[in-house]
Amino acid sequence: MNPVATAAIPDEVWREIGDLSWEGSESTLMESLLELWRDHYRCEGAALYLRRDGHYRLEASSRRGSCSRFPAGLESPTAAGPGDSPADAAPTEDGGPKLLEVPGGLIAWLGADGVTEAAPSDPLTLLLVSVLRSFELRKRLKLQSFQVNYRGVELEALYDVGLAIASTLDLEALSEEVLLRAVSLLDARRGALYLREGSRYRLDRTFGGDALASFEPETEEDGRRKMRVPDDLLPGTEHLLALPVEFHGDPRGVLAVGDRESRHGVGPFSDRDRRTLMLFANQAAIALENARLHRQELEKQRLEREMELAAEIQRQILPQGSPHVEGYDLMGWSRPARQVGGDYFDFFELDGGRLRVTVGDVTGKGIPAALLVSTLHSSLRLLLGSDPVDGELLSRLNRHIHESSAANKFITLLVAELDPSAHRLRYVNAGHNPGLCVRADGTVAQLDPGGLPVGMLPQAGYTTGEMALGSGDLVCLYSDGITEAATPEGEEFGMRRLRELLVREREHPLPEIRSRLEAVLEDFVQDEPQADDETLVLLRRCDT
Amino acid sequence: MTESLKLRVDRRGNLAVVYTEGYINNQGGEEIARVAYKLLDDDCSRLLLNLSGTKIVNSIGISILIEIIEKMIEVDGKLAFCCLTPTIEKTFHIMGLAQYAGIYEDEQSALGALET
Repeated sequence: MNPVATAAIPDEVWREIGDLSWEGSESTLMESLLELWRDHYRCEGAALYLRRDGHYRLEASSRRGSCSRFPAGLESPTAAGPGDSPADAAPTEDGGPKLLEVPGGLIAWLGADGVTEAAPSDPLTLLLVSVLRSFELRKRLKLQSFQVNYRGVELEALYDVGLAIASTLDLEALSEEVLLRAVSLLDARRGALYLREGSRYRLDRTFGGDALASFEPETEEDGRRKMRVPDDLLPGTEHLLALPVEFHGDPRGVLAVGDRESRHGVGPFSDRDRRTLMLFANQAAIALENARLHRQELEKQRLEREMELAAEIQRQILPQGSPHVEGYDLMGWSRPARQVGGDYFDFFELDGGRLRVTVGDVTGKGIPAALLVSTLHSSLRLLLGSDPVDGELLSRLNRHIHESSAANKFITLLVAELDPSAHRLRYVNAGHNPGLCVRADGTVAQLDPGGLPVGMLPQAGYTTGEMALGSGDLVCLYSDGITEAATPEGEEFGMRRLRELLVREREHPLPEIRSRLEAVLEDFVQDEPQADDETLVLLRRCDT
Repeated sequence: MTESLKLRVDRRGNLAVVYTEGYINNQGGEEIARVAYKLLDDDCSRLLLNLSGTKIVNSIGISILIEIIEKMIEVDGKLAFCCLTPTIEKTFHIMGLAQYAGIYEDEQSALGALET
């Protein structure tokens, strides 16, 4: 110890040092020592700065009366170093403190300049420095402990997000949770989550500031797929970290954070931060995938409910049984290819014992076709009423269906009216398959088309046909699902085979004819699934 | 531009309730510290931080809150938190804030503890 320096510290100062409480915090101790140092060197104020990462942060100060405050931090200060005379130290700025470099930091002072050349090595200064060093060490240990504990926070966050993903399908809440956790754990100021829609990524949510509403990432680099996001994804940020949200390599979105904070400002993200963000991006991918599957399942259930409803409506539309007409056997049958079909048949009793028999085939399948069938059913009842069917009525029906349906939708229709007392069949065939009349002697007449399908054009004309029915004559109206049923090689069942079967089976009961046709069709198509709706209406004069 | 933390102070004798709204990060933490130290200088040694308007705290914010707690301990003051989100409450427990500052579900119970 420098005897000159020792002699510079009065005994009463040493006594005051001895009276200090060493039980309290370093901050309080440093303030007390600074007060002694300030008084000894007759300054207005004294302060201690701790150096960390090239910055100097104010840790303690002691000021008299109206002495100015010391700045909270100093960047690149110019201080009197070891060997320099403190008296020559320049103030940091006009009226600012002078600085003395000591191990671990700086001593700053303001006011009357009583700091001598002995100051850097006098025991009071050395005591201050040793307390500063122990404070620095303690702070480092605290920081390490803090960082270790914070790893625990990260793990808990990942665990919590994983639990949330497993327990909820609320994508809104999950997305919010993932974004906030990523921002807070990476000490970011800003963050954003984007979701992919086609080739573009649309902003789903943001935190801490604005973000681009959408962007299209560059995806090609040296032949490999690599995503690059715009530099101004989070406008105003200096440092951006953005990672893709991918599920099994399929990009679903982008998770981005901006400006990593420290006590001194913002800085870039580290490799460790990248790994942490990747973990959250993976979590986000799982959440998005779960939500997508759930939405798909809900949509599937909704469609199934709608299909079942449409099928029920259609079941209600189609006749539940066959009407009784004296002297005639009647039977109608329809099997849709899907849950809901586009084929239609109807029996409608008219005045005077007449019966209208209708078979129709709507373009398309599924619910749209079923809805048009429903329109057809109500239109037939309302427009045709009980009037005898003729071309004019079909023209009116055509106009109505054309106005009521989509441009590419139309209906092939065969409307026949049986007058059982006169044994005559009057019909209009609007583009439908020719009906077949198998005579008792095995010859076959056709109920040929006399106009276009209804709904195809706004105006259409139709011709009316008529035929007499003899005893045993069998009339067959059908849809093309029967004649166009095909083998795996593509050969169609055709009208010829249908005619041959009807001729062969013409004297059998109507349900047997249907069963026989069903069996023959099944044999014919082999394992091919039913491609189109199949409808069959049979009518036979059975009196003698 | 990052949204700044908003603070509202309700002084009640030597107790104050500071309501936070927004992100407790570096900026937000420094703002809370400035208000807290000013209150301490003004003989207000019991402080309740009501975090009902805060959904997110980062490590910088937590370190500043720890410093505030240490300062309160030095001056024999008391600090409590209330109305934390489950995430923030769990974080405070892991980081040890709960050892030195009370954590309460609502303002009423927090005030009751601080006033005793």
